[in-house]
Amino acid sequence: MKLSFKETKPVMTQTQAVLEASRCLLCEDAPCNKGCPAGIDVKKFIRAIKFENFRHSMDLIKENNILPGVCGIVCPREVLCEKECSNTELSTPIKIGDLQRFVAEKEYTAKHKLSPTIKKNKTKVVVIGSGPAGLSCAAELATRGFEVTIFERRERLGGVLTYGIPAYRLPKRVVKQEINYIKKLGVKARKGTVVDSLDDVLNSGFRAVFIGVGLGKPMFCGIPGEKLKGVVEGVKFLEEVNENPKKVVIGERVIVIGGGSVAMDCACSALRVGARHVDLVCLEAPNELPAFREEIERAQNEGINIHTRFMPLRIIGKDGKVAGLKAIKIDWKIPGRFLPDNAVKIKGSNLTLVGDAVIEAIGQAPEPSLLFKGLKTRRGYLVVNKDMMTSKKGVFAGGDIIISKEGRTVVQSVAEGKKAGEAIAAYLKNSSKFK
Amino acid sequence: MKYHGIELGVDFCGLKFQNPFILAAAPPTDDLDMVRSAFEAGWAGAVLKTTSVEGTIVDLVYPMISSLDFEGKKLVGLGNIDLISEHHIDEIEKRVGILKSEFPSKIVGASIMGTKKEDWQCLVQRLEKAGVDLIECSFSCPQGSMGEEPGAMLAQSIPATEMVTGWVKEAARRVPVIIKVTPQVTNIVDVAGAVKRGGADGICASNTIPSLMGIDIHSLTPHPDVRGKSSYSGMSGAAIKPITLRTIAEISKAIDIPITGTGGPTTWKDAVEFLLVGATTVQFATAVMRYGYDIIEDLTSGLAFYMEEKGFKSVVDIIGKSLPNIVTHGELERKTVISKIDEQLCIKCDACYITCRDGGHQAIKLEREDRLPEVDEEKCTGCGLCVTICPVDAITLKEKIVKCKM
Repeated sequence: MKLSFKETKPVMTQTQAVLEASRCLLCEDAPCNKGCPAGIDVKKFIRAIKFENFRHSMDLIKENNILPGVCGIVCPREVLCEKECSNTELSTPIKIGDLQRFVAEKEYTAKHKLSPTIKKNKTKVVVIGSGPAGLSCAAELATRGFEVTIFERRERLGGVLTYGIPAYRLPKRVVKQEINYIKKLGVKARKGTVVDSLDDVLNSGFRAVFIGVGLGKPMFCGIPGEKLKGVVEGVKFLEEVNENPKKVVIGERVIVIGGGSVAMDCACSALRVGARHVDLVCLEAPNELPAFREEIERAQNEGINIHTRFMPLRIIGKDGKVAGLKAIKIDWKIPGRFLPDNAVKIKGSNLTLVGDAVIEAIGQAPEPSLLFKGLKTRRGYLVVNKDMMTSKKGVFAGGDIIISKEGRTVVQSVAEGKKAGEAIAAYLKNSSKFK
Repeated sequence: MKYHGIELGVDFCGLKFQNPFILAAAPPTDDLDMVRSAFEAGWAGAVLKTTSVEGTIVDLVYPMISSLDFEGKKLVGLGNIDLISEHHIDEIEKRVGILKSEFPSKIVGASIMGTKKEDWQCLVQRLEKAGVDLIECSFSCPQGSMGEEPGAMLAQSIPATEMVTGWVKEAARRVPVIIKVTPQVTNIVDVAGAVKRGGADGICASNTIPSLMGIDIHSLTPHPDVRGKSSYSGMSGAAIKPITLRTIAEISKAIDIPITGTGGPTTWKDAVEFLLVGATTVQFATAVMRYGYDIIEDLTSGLAFYMEEKGFKSVVDIIGKSLPNIVTHGELERKTVISKIDEQLCIKCDACYITCRDGGHQAIKLEREDRLPEVDEEKCTGCGLCVTICPVDAITLKEKIVKCKM
């Protein structure tokens, strides 16, 4: 079977969606609602589907999540809303993610106009970065009538949605639809624009700033051989794949290092740009992988060889190019702490893989930026208070760039962006009182 | 009331409703706080559960509710052997006053039932004095009207219907009076005619349907089991919607009288159907008992979006719009249609094959290697049975092209 970048999972039909929604028990104390980081009233949006009121369903979702289509696809529902579904006791959890996807698809392709009427004010706010957090914050403020401008350093909006997640998992059409809707709310965007001084922004008529720049610095294992030709960094690789998969050249045998979503995306994308054989090496055991079930299942189904609980030792080179990878089986000193310094190498369990490319996808860190000058940081991440405000008045942040205990998912960023939007609105309302 | 800029308000019997959705006289309106919750949720009005003069004995039995399940689906129909409210007119007068002062923009109606002329007229006068907006007369409680013929419903007698309607109208000075009828009659148009002649301002169509909800085949007792015995229930819910729609349509086509529709609506789509056959407002009970007052959100938004999509400027524009499309059987166009199966959509469940083989004209063949069913165009009559059965809506009817033999 030839793999492509076309989405493989079909969208539910209306008949399927109504049937699925009618299985919902509509619990008053709905556990799915509590499982949604964005706070969507899941029960009500499902009820609206059951009653064939799809537009109301979409309105209900959008009240709390401005990216219903995206999250309907990429949300790890099995660990969030669907995890506690009461229907599990009867049969299987309601397919909440798929229902959300259905509604988004139906409503974006419907003829009626989706934009609500907004009472505008003249207060200007800047959003730096157009990933899920930035988009969500911008939409929240625009809905409240603020004049929002997004500054995006790249040529296209969407951040990780556009440049990170591959199209077979998240069709770019869905991302564009949601961004277009946000633009319809009145959000303006300046693309290809780098901001490196908060003061310049605040002195040029903008009353508040939201920073949602994500994590820009790739991490490496720090093993011998990383300078060899053929070693690429995961996020960079996905960016190229998302720009134009036809231009990407990768070897026939590819080795991916990492066990998260990005690693799985890299492995499956490598297969789609010409690799014939992909090995994936990760520290974690199958039940410890940070990637989500669907992503792991896809990788397995597509024939990725996943080597779990292996630590890479060095990249083998030949004539300055990658020729393979040496790794060793490990165990944990302290269970539950999945870091290299917690690993015990098991003697005699060496693994040698042959490959002509190594993709390192072991995570990203905050990229140092002039933007952060004067802001409180910890390990490079921005520190915010409960209202998402940084140590500087009027400067807010959210998404992957803030230090946080919550999991790093698209929906978490959406939630933080919205929360920051609400906080900015409240802040501007209060600060104008004292003027 | 506007939703997304669409005006949902409607006039009924001279009263202004914020939207066409009202709570019917039923358990959801039998408590003051419950009606408060409903008004806060957005219902335009409520008809308080049927009350009576002091001293009327309302002797309830428990349990009183049972369900018609179908293939694992609960509450396709809801049966009750409930009676009128245990709260008499003295209590209802108070509630009307409180509700009107707290919710002046909501329509507060009250349902009444009497056994003699003085009772009916006394109830009307006292409610009017209490400030009620609308009086609904229950002529159709399946447990009997406690009237001249115990056990029978008032609305099953044409003369009684006209006479009692006359009594209540005689007593009412200002308040519009509507009569709630039963579909359990030989000719609903005759009943509606009597309601009109009696002078009522409107008609409520229609009440629950006398039913035997089912029998426990082991204990041999019908549902609901009241210590080994049971009684006929009044059935409501989705199962009776088609009967109600027919009732409303028949009245609407024949008699010029405002109609408030009830009996089986659950969703905004159902409500639109009620409007399309001539109802001006729609009353809900079973759906609220199942899902809660906040389904009003789904109703108002659904109606507004529908109106926007169809270009209806006002709810009034929808009322009765389908009536011209209801004609006698003889007036229907005769043309040959045949089934067409969409091979892309078909999931090869063979339901159409079985239904046509044993319930149709053996016009679906199952002979292909790939198991896809095929329509035999010579045998297919276009009856539509397979269309109703296909689980994925893969079958449609198309016009049959008759090849002329030269």
